[in-house]
Amino acid sequence: MFEGFVHPLLAAGAALCAVPLVIHLLNRRRYRTLPWGAMRFVAAAYRRTRRRAQLESLLLLLLRMALVVLLALALSRPFTDSTSALATLTESRRDVVLLLDVSGSTQYRENVETTFERIRTRAREILSELDPSGDSARLFVCSSQARLLSWRSPAEALSILSTLETPTEESLDLATVLAEVVHTVEKDLEASGALEIRLLTDLQRRNFAGPQGAPSTDPASRVEPVAAGSTDEPETEHALGIEESLTKLQDRGLRIVVEDLGPAATTPANLGVAALTTESPILGPGTPSEISVRIANWGARARNAVRVALLVDGERRPSRQVDVPARDSALVTFPVSFKTSGYHYVEAQLEGDSLDFDDRRGHVFFVPPPARILLVNGAPEPGNIENDEVGFLQAVLEPPSDDPGVGSAFAPFRPRTVYPDQLTTGTLQLSEFDVVVLANVQTLSTSAVETLEAAVASGLSLLITVGDNVTPETYNRRLWRSDGSGLLPAELQRVVRVHSRRESYFRVNEFEVEHPALAFFDDERWRPLFTEVPIYDFIASTPLEDARVLARLDDDGANPLLIERAYDRGRVFLWTTTLDRDWTRLPESPKTLVPLAHELLRYAAQPAAQAPRNVPLGASLVAELRGFPRNPMLLEPDGTHRPLEDSSSVGGDLWRLPIALQAEQRGAWTVELEGRPPLVFAVQTEAEEGDVDRIGVSELASLHPAWLPLNQRGGTDGDEGESVPRSGELWRWFAAATLIALILESLWAARLGQLRRLS
Amino acid sequence: MPTAPSANHLDPAVIDKLSGLDFVATRVVEGFLAGQHRSPYHGSSVEFAQHREYVPGDDLRHVDWKIYARSERLVVKEYVAETNLSCHLLVDASESMSFRSLAWSKFDYARWCAAALAHLVLSQRDSAGLVLFDESARHKVPPGSGAHQKAGIIHTLEEATTSGTTQVGEVLNWIAGRLRNRGIVAVFSDLFDDVEAVIEGVRRLVHEGHEPILFQILDPREIDFEYSGFLRLDGLEETGRMIVDPKTLRAAYREEFEAHQGELAKMARALGVDFVPISTETGLEVALSTYLARRAARARGMRA
Repeated sequence: MFEGFVHPLLAAGAALCAVPLVIHLLNRRRYRTLPWGAMRFVAAAYRRTRRRAQLESLLLLLLRMALVVLLALALSRPFTDSTSALATLTESRRDVVLLLDVSGSTQYRENVETTFERIRTRAREILSELDPSGDSARLFVCSSQARLLSWRSPAEALSILSTLETPTEESLDLATVLAEVVHTVEKDLEASGALEIRLLTDLQRRNFAGPQGAPSTDPASRVEPVAAGSTDEPETEHALGIEESLTKLQDRGLRIVVEDLGPAATTPANLGVAALTTESPILGPGTPSEISVRIANWGARARNAVRVALLVDGERRPSRQVDVPARDSALVTFPVSFKTSGYHYVEAQLEGDSLDFDDRRGHVFFVPPPARILLVNGAPEPGNIENDEVGFLQAVLEPPSDDPGVGSAFAPFRPRTVYPDQLTTGTLQLSEFDVVVLANVQTLSTSAVETLEAAVASGLSLLITVGDNVTPETYNRRLWRSDGSGLLPAELQRVVRVHSRRESYFRVNEFEVEHPALAFFDDERWRPLFTEVPIYDFIASTPLEDARVLARLDDDGANPLLIERAYDRGRVFLWTTTLDRDWTRLPESPKTLVPLAHELLRYAAQPAAQAPRNVPLGASLVAELRGFPRNPMLLEPDGTHRPLEDSSSVGGDLWRLPIALQAEQRGAWTVELEGRPPLVFAVQTEAEEGDVDRIGVSELASLHPAWLPLNQRGGTDGDEGESVPRSGELWRWFAAATLIALILESLWAARLGQLRRLS
Repeated sequence: MPTAPSANHLDPAVIDKLSGLDFVATRVVEGFLAGQHRSPYHGSSVEFAQHREYVPGDDLRHVDWKIYARSERLVVKEYVAETNLSCHLLVDASESMSFRSLAWSKFDYARWCAAALAHLVLSQRDSAGLVLFDESARHKVPPGSGAHQKAGIIHTLEEATTSGTTQVGEVLNWIAGRLRNRGIVAVFSDLFDDVEAVIEGVRRLVHEGHEPILFQILDPREIDFEYSGFLRLDGLEETGRMIVDPKTLRAAYREEFEAHQGELAKMARALGVDFVPISTETGLEVALSTYLARRAARARGMRA
């Protein structure tokens, strides 16, 4: 008869109807004994009135019992569904949870209307159908998370709905959304099964079933993670999250009505800029570079002669055309030469189509300035480049101007060579350098070590190379500490030499191929240049636990050749052999030394801790810069200007400047600073959000029983005629019946009392 | 609540009031003692009673001419012939008379009434006798006069207890054939018996030349049945027990009670017998004096 009760425990109170009966029976037992003489009259009266009195008492008793039962039923708020015989008595009170998909894909425009506008219109229809006085509505907007905008009356939800003008450009994270919705309505779910949950969406396949047959987008298109929580969730975990929430709902007898309000086509046409990348590292200002733009065709038909435009720092470059196969992507490359070093905002644009937000995509590229290298020559040999400790290195860093290998317009390195005692005199400002190379330096004074430690801690990179001048004991004493507070990333042990240089030598046995400093040698063509170069002598070492061994030798102990370790904000590298040809033939091989020195020092010259410049939508923006940021002014993508405050010192001359807690606009965020170049950030959307490929209604229904999809005609593909059985409460009827029973009981009791008083 | 009269001695206040009233028999009875009762045998003494206005038809011998000479008003002198009164007091000592809702039971009240009447009768030098009965006559004090008679009656009343069932009709029948002297038969009982049986007994007494007076002694709760809460009524004369809700039963009870009273009253009127229902919450002196005053007034009316 009833589908359930809002307060089931109170329904058990109906058993209290026995109380009047018990009281009646107890009253009969609780009598007063009276010796009585006029029994003849009592007996005669009893014979006359017994039947009527019994009927009167029985009626009163039944009324009182009914009163208790009805009151318990009214308080326990029974409800029933539309199939019940009591359905006509129900109030059809509805408690609707409305989930609006406001992800980027709902911007898809078909004819004159976007999906979002259809969703908004449909939401308005649903809310208008509700009874303003009795029904309740919760309104969630859903994208990367679910936000509860309204939780009371339909009128309030309607009012808030009218303020929703545009969707977000975020992706719909269904697992997070469902988890939050279940959490929010959990109390109601436990109390009753009368909730009606409706999801108004475009049925984007990747949200419900994960990507299938989508164009492969370059990993480089993925934005840099800024926090552990924002890393991409594995698809399996995502699916499991959805499954878990749906199962919770199903366990409570609930289903989610999914209304398809997306485009008519299953795979709507859409082109999008998926990624901007560089094929090779940008060496510096003035050097030619190539920026590749990956164009994704999310539609079912191939698109030819797609025109792509590129803007570098707002300056439009000649557009190019590219053919993009259906459900695939294609690269179009633009030659670019940046005029200045620093961060540059590059944006690729397509001609507008049905989905606008992915037709533009920006990316910030870093153009490094010349790396300032200080070479501390521990074994100088003036005039003899071959025997000078840093002769070869200086030559590859600062080649003669007629060297055909490097462009004459830009020198990526600015080396300066000094002797070790210059470190002690204090004439050098280490903050003027990006990298310091200690090349076979015999010893360092305590003050020199302290100066170096302070400089490295504030961001300087230090490369230590060894040789005949280096004695492990001396170095360990000055530069190594077991707690890691010393500069050496490894404890030096002893010098290891080959028995005969003619018969054998050591080679690089393994190295980290993905490390930026060594990635060049990952190519099979160039690998031997690094792994086959003879190394005759080296110093065995034991790295600290937090040190990273980038390359190991093939000796019995697999000793490290190159070690990297972070030291506060800076980094320290240890090269366990010489820079000159005393212990190795490597310096004599320009094909090895040039890429190794360039890549290693370029990598070392980059700041170790650098705030990301390409961030996802909704992430926080923060900049770190040297020197106090004077009069910072933020220029947001929509052209809004506002001053920034609250910069704080991180340590030394490093300052932290918060820009935005949540970057909610896609595009370039620029911070203009007085007396220095602007800082620029690219806030990017997820490229895959442009894939509006839609899941079918029947396929969605097969994914989980809790899904109850409706097609665009308002029906299901299954055999279920009604979307959701509407539950209605009966408590008002029971309350009215209680009131009537109470009145009848009072009247009847008063009548009996009156009759008996009169008698 | 009325103050309970003493059980051992008659309340002087009660006796004083009763002495101020004339206890006049309305029937001619045989008597040997001189008294204030009118005798059918033209007794030994005639006493002036009062003056009243002359009305045509009055015997001119009784006109008081002296008063006529002084005031020219015709008044006649009335005289009362006195004779001896024999009063038989019948007190119901059945179990039902022990009921009480006050500090005293119906039986207490009945014997006080009987003692008071005995005192009054004996103090007028008339004779009085006592019969205690339930389903039959249990104790008897034969009629007599004098102080020793009064002491005997009082003693018997004090010693009496209630027991047995009420059989008023049978007792009246039985006693009617055994009373040698005609006189007043005052019955003190709740009369919770069949009306027909009571009528039969009373009729027999009347037939034998007695003047029965039915004093029905009732407890106020027996009249109104004003109880609340469930009651278990234990019948006092082995009439069983019942659990009842007085509220639901009250109306019917009162109807039954009043029907019984109505029949008794009707029967008494038909036989020319006094029927005097008395509630035990009524003051003893009020109850008796009211009745005796009414009876005296009625006696004067008859003489006139």
